[in-house]
Amino acid sequence: MAAPRSNREFIEACVKSGDAVRIKQEVDWENEAGAIVRRACELAAPAPFMEKIKDYPGFSYFGAPLSTYRRMAISMGMDPASSLPEIGKEYVKRTNGEPVAPVLVDRKDAPCKENILKGADVDLCKLPVPLVHEGDGGRYVGTWHAVVTKHPVRGDVNWGMYRQMMFDSRTMSGAVFPFSDLGKALTDYYLPRGETCPFATAIGLSPLAAMAACAPSPIPEPELTGMLAGEPVRLVKCETNDLEVPADAEIILEGEICPDYKVEEGPFGEYTGYRTSPRDFRVTFRVNCITYRNNATMTISNMGVPQDEGQLLRSFSLGLELEKLLKSQGIPVTGVYMHPRSTHHMMIVGVKPTYSGVAQQIGQLAFGSKLGPWFHMVMVVDDKTDIYNWDEVYHAFCTRCHPANGIHIYRNSPGTPLYPFATPHERKYSIGSKVVFDCLWPVDWDPVNDVPTVVSFKNVYPKEVQEKVMNNWTAYGYPPVK
Amino acid sequence: MNQWEVYVNDVKELAEDAEIELTIRTLNPGIHKFTYKRVRAQLSSDLKKHADQLQVRLGRGQLSPSRFSIKVLGEIQRMPAKYL
Repeated sequence: MAAPRSNREFIEACVKSGDAVRIKQEVDWENEAGAIVRRACELAAPAPFMEKIKDYPGFSYFGAPLSTYRRMAISMGMDPASSLPEIGKEYVKRTNGEPVAPVLVDRKDAPCKENILKGADVDLCKLPVPLVHEGDGGRYVGTWHAVVTKHPVRGDVNWGMYRQMMFDSRTMSGAVFPFSDLGKALTDYYLPRGETCPFATAIGLSPLAAMAACAPSPIPEPELTGMLAGEPVRLVKCETNDLEVPADAEIILEGEICPDYKVEEGPFGEYTGYRTSPRDFRVTFRVNCITYRNNATMTISNMGVPQDEGQLLRSFSLGLELEKLLKSQGIPVTGVYMHPRSTHHMMIVGVKPTYSGVAQQIGQLAFGSKLGPWFHMVMVVDDKTDIYNWDEVYHAFCTRCHPANGIHIYRNSPGTPLYPFATPHERKYSIGSKVVFDCLWPVDWDPVNDVPTVVSFKNVYPKEVQEKVMNNWTAYGYPPVK
Repeated sequence: MNQWEVYVNDVKELAEDAEIELTIRTLNPGIHKFTYKRVRAQLSSDLKKHADQLQVRLGRGQLSPSRFSIKVLGEIQRMPAKYL
């Protein structure tokens, strides 16, 4: 099965496999569409493809695009029943290859140019921008999208998923954190020069382009998309600036970021499952041009309590990128996993504990990396603990992590305003705190006399006894074990 | 009559019977619902004093029971001219 090349191909594949439903009846863009998406996330239900939107004939919504591992497998062209480790293995395999450069296509071959609004015709309200949650500070244009920018000096392209709220017909405000690629470019280059930063927002991307925009990989997102898809992503030049955007995207917004002028943004339901970050003055995006496909589909991610694609995909890619980082440093890790229900706040690392201090070394590397602001807990377990099995990890944590010796706290590290536990001061200045939970037996303990023995069916009984018991299980009167 | 909404951290920020600046969003039905503008306005807790109505939300989106009538005196253009 080939990976879907566009949002439309992805929707078709999901409908065919039963992982999306077509909703024919009219849906209100004010709260109702958001509520459908939220409920679908909380029930792990098929993704809603809403074909009729109040006030917006000809437009549709696709919600919760990647909020299940089944849909993630479909997006990669894999069997929807693939397990998480299988999907992860495939992701690592594809992203460890050679970068696949994008191809530039003529605008006549770019569906995103089928409709073009410029000048006085530009009005964001002509798009079905949803009010995702009751009480949100505004209607959010960008919840599952890519903000395309290019570094003014290095020239490298960045696709980032920075949320964008519609402030008025031509203005959006967005949360761009100072430690992000775009945040650094604005602070280091554009603000001192008083220059605007060209941007384009692409909505309704292919699922792998969205995955790339969400992934914390050092590989530029257009190349990463090509690696994930196994073929180049098709790009097309913007109408009003030199940026290149995915030709098959549903909607493109072109404009400029005004680095010295900020407007109010938020509050917004966030991936942590709360509205945490306060309404504040944030980055201003001025829109100069809108292009969109006929019968355009706007994608909606509804962030809230687990699990939605913000948690699922970010946990997935953060964990795998951290695994690459740790392995590149020679750390004997056997796997890294972030459970989506941790809202990608806890990294669980399996390691062969061959030397002392390895848990702290892992924590320091992970927290000190560019990815560090996005999580604050590292739990290190041995290679015999199944990192994907929360029961085993939780047991290891509660029994092996020494309350005085095994918990290591780091203060005043980079954080985000989105941490629910952070003080108001910490949120305002993106100050974080980090913790490592060392759940390894100390290497200076005698493995025979000091290390406790795990008492479990698979660990303490001879193999022949285990087999006898398993073979006779139904004969004992138990139902078969699935 | 127009319906407006404002976000504040504390309802005490909304001084009555004085000219104040606010960022308000329209709640009037239609495709422009929830778009913002910066205005000069006068407020009153007497809901009949001014023709337009203002409801209030707090920092995390909670709807406040406080209601005001509002008179929008004029729009303020905050955006620097170079961006217009």
